[in-house]
Amino acid sequence: MDSYAIRTEGLTKVYKDFWRRKSTSALTNLNLTIERGEIFGLLGPNGSGKTTTVKLLLGLLFPTSGKSWVLGYPSGNLTVKRKLGFLPEESYLYKFLNAEEILDFYAKLFDIQKKERKRRIDALIHEVRLDHVRKRPLSQYSKGMLRRIGLAQAIINDPELVILDEPTSGLDPIGSREMKDLILEFKRQKKTVVLCSHLLADVQDICDRIAIFNKGVLQVTGTVKELLSQNDAIEFVVKNLSDNDIQAVKAFVESRNGNVLSVDHPSSTLEDLFISIIQRR
Amino acid sequence: MIQTIAIHTLRESLRKKTLHVLIGLGILIMAVLPLIPTTDEPDATVKMILVVFFQVVVLLCISGVILLSATSLPYEIEDKTIYGILSKPISRLKVIVGKITGFALLSVVLLVILSLFNLISVYYRASNLPEEYRGILKARTEFTASHFSIEGTLHHTREGIAWIAGGGTGVAQWSFSDIQETHETTPGFETECNLKLESGRGFIDTVPLMVRTVNDSTGRGKSEVVIAKVDKPFILKIDPEMVQKNSILNITVFPILTTDYIGVTHMDVKVFSVPKGFLSNYAKAIFITFLKFLLILIIAVMGSTYLSAPVSIVSAFVLFLCGHILEFIKDFSLLIQHHDMHEHAVPAVLKTPNILLVYMDYLIKKPLEWICFILPDFRRFDSLKFLLNGVDIPLETVGASFGYTIVYAGICLFISCIVLKKREFF
Repeated sequence: MDSYAIRTEGLTKVYKDFWRRKSTSALTNLNLTIERGEIFGLLGPNGSGKTTTVKLLLGLLFPTSGKSWVLGYPSGNLTVKRKLGFLPEESYLYKFLNAEEILDFYAKLFDIQKKERKRRIDALIHEVRLDHVRKRPLSQYSKGMLRRIGLAQAIINDPELVILDEPTSGLDPIGSREMKDLILEFKRQKKTVVLCSHLLADVQDICDRIAIFNKGVLQVTGTVKELLSQNDAIEFVVKNLSDNDIQAVKAFVESRNGNVLSVDHPSSTLEDLFISIIQRR
Repeated sequence: MIQTIAIHTLRESLRKKTLHVLIGLGILIMAVLPLIPTTDEPDATVKMILVVFFQVVVLLCISGVILLSATSLPYEIEDKTIYGILSKPISRLKVIVGKITGFALLSVVLLVILSLFNLISVYYRASNLPEEYRGILKARTEFTASHFSIEGTLHHTREGIAWIAGGGTGVAQWSFSDIQETHETTPGFETECNLKLESGRGFIDTVPLMVRTVNDSTGRGKSEVVIAKVDKPFILKIDPEMVQKNSILNITVFPILTTDYIGVTHMDVKVFSVPKGFLSNYAKAIFITFLKFLLILIIAVMGSTYLSAPVSIVSAFVLFLCGHILEFIKDFSLLIQHHDMHEHAVPAVLKTPNILLVYMDYLIKKPLEWICFILPDFRRFDSLKFLLNGVDIPLETVGASFGYTIVYAGICLFISCIVLKKREFF
């Protein structure tokens, strides 16, 4: 068994125009490995090649050159799709169906037995907090609701690998936090998660490793800590220190040729503040 | 999985307003039909109900099925709902087959609902008809004469029709062989005579005829005087005992009055056996109509694997239309051929070797012939003519239509799979 969840070798995609002439290079010579069980973030601005990479991995697009493997199988292989969950960047769902019907439809595509289907559908609808609208057609759902039912369909088969394209787009801060908690729960369940996003804070919070794309080229890859840490600076977070003590510490650091850049109170994120206020009420 | 896609497609189609409108319109047309005045013929309304159902209501439904099947896949690609399906473990072949199965199920639903209305309407109207007009509710097997001759004096021939004067100076005879061998279990036979009638007595409505039916082997026979109506076929019952194995049935006709004339051809007298009822014949007609639905929807789905929704709709309708006018297209190619062959039809300036005429063969005639060969032949699915004449649809016709649909659909499916397999979803 391939130890990598995803592996690409020289993966390149060039879009052609109507006359089959090469027009846009969407992805160039991508060499990437994603380990099993890690949360991997694909970062980059719009049009940087993130979604093209995902579509190549799913077999929705065919590479111009290069190869890719997903869970040890060539991309697009039907066997691997049994172990794969995909949430597209927008919720492309059949709006005439309700939550139960759409999940039932996708579950049937995995040949899941009726009893098991029912159990999973009930559990997932509860998990994504859509119990109260489970019989309502998706055409009447808000964007956030659609995102949540989209996530439910992506994990209806209890996949080994989950590919999430902009999972938090359209979600309110609570929904966004729940989505991130769910992704961390996937990690605890030893699932591999590939996260495409341009919301850097989301990626920083939950990803083990990231890759940054620009204009179809992989710029950098590594753990979040590796990429963000400033090795020439040290940060202390200390509690219960008086003003005099602070001055003493500052003087001590400077006496040792250290350069104090800032002395401040640490602040939580706006998201943490929002969640704490909402949950308090 | 094919079943899942099929049921999903059916469910999606049934929730479309287009379909509701079409079904409603179809039922409305059938409900209004009996109220429309027709000719004086008692069975005219029944015939009109059948004609309108098979030519108007069915056309409406086919239009609906074309609209839905030609747009299903392009809309899925446009809305990107196809991502949800193709990221699941289902092959593109199964997606296509599932869609086709779904639309085939939809066609069955439509045909069952509307044909039930049609049947009720036909039976209700036909139940009030006089006995001699209930032939439309039969499913007879048709036999044409194996031999046709004129005995005695032929008065004259005009436009391929032989005319006989009355009084027994000339007698028209139609001979039928092997009837009993073909249908030994047939409970009864009847003769349908559709003769041209004229009279020297001025404008008349009826002409008395002598019709004699004789078994050639036993010599057993029956003579009847029939008062035939102008422009109206008449039907005579034949005793089943008269039709025996390895014997020939002769039917002779002549006008009784010397002032009357009958115009006859080989096909004017036919013998029919009545082995089955209208219902089984109607079921066969509906099955053939279903094959027509199946063929056009597969063609529409094939187009939709590559084309956008509007182009796919237009091309499916164009193919559907062309499939009905193949005869015209062929005639057009023959016209060019005749133009080429008959020198007198060519203007003098073109009589010398002309590049236009030389290459017309390759530029127009041959491409037209190829187009006729490639286009689906929807004329094969015309079952209405059988129902209107009360003729049993031969199993060979049903089989041929089925075989043609399977072969053509198989080719379309193969092309669809190749195209969809190569297709990328941006």
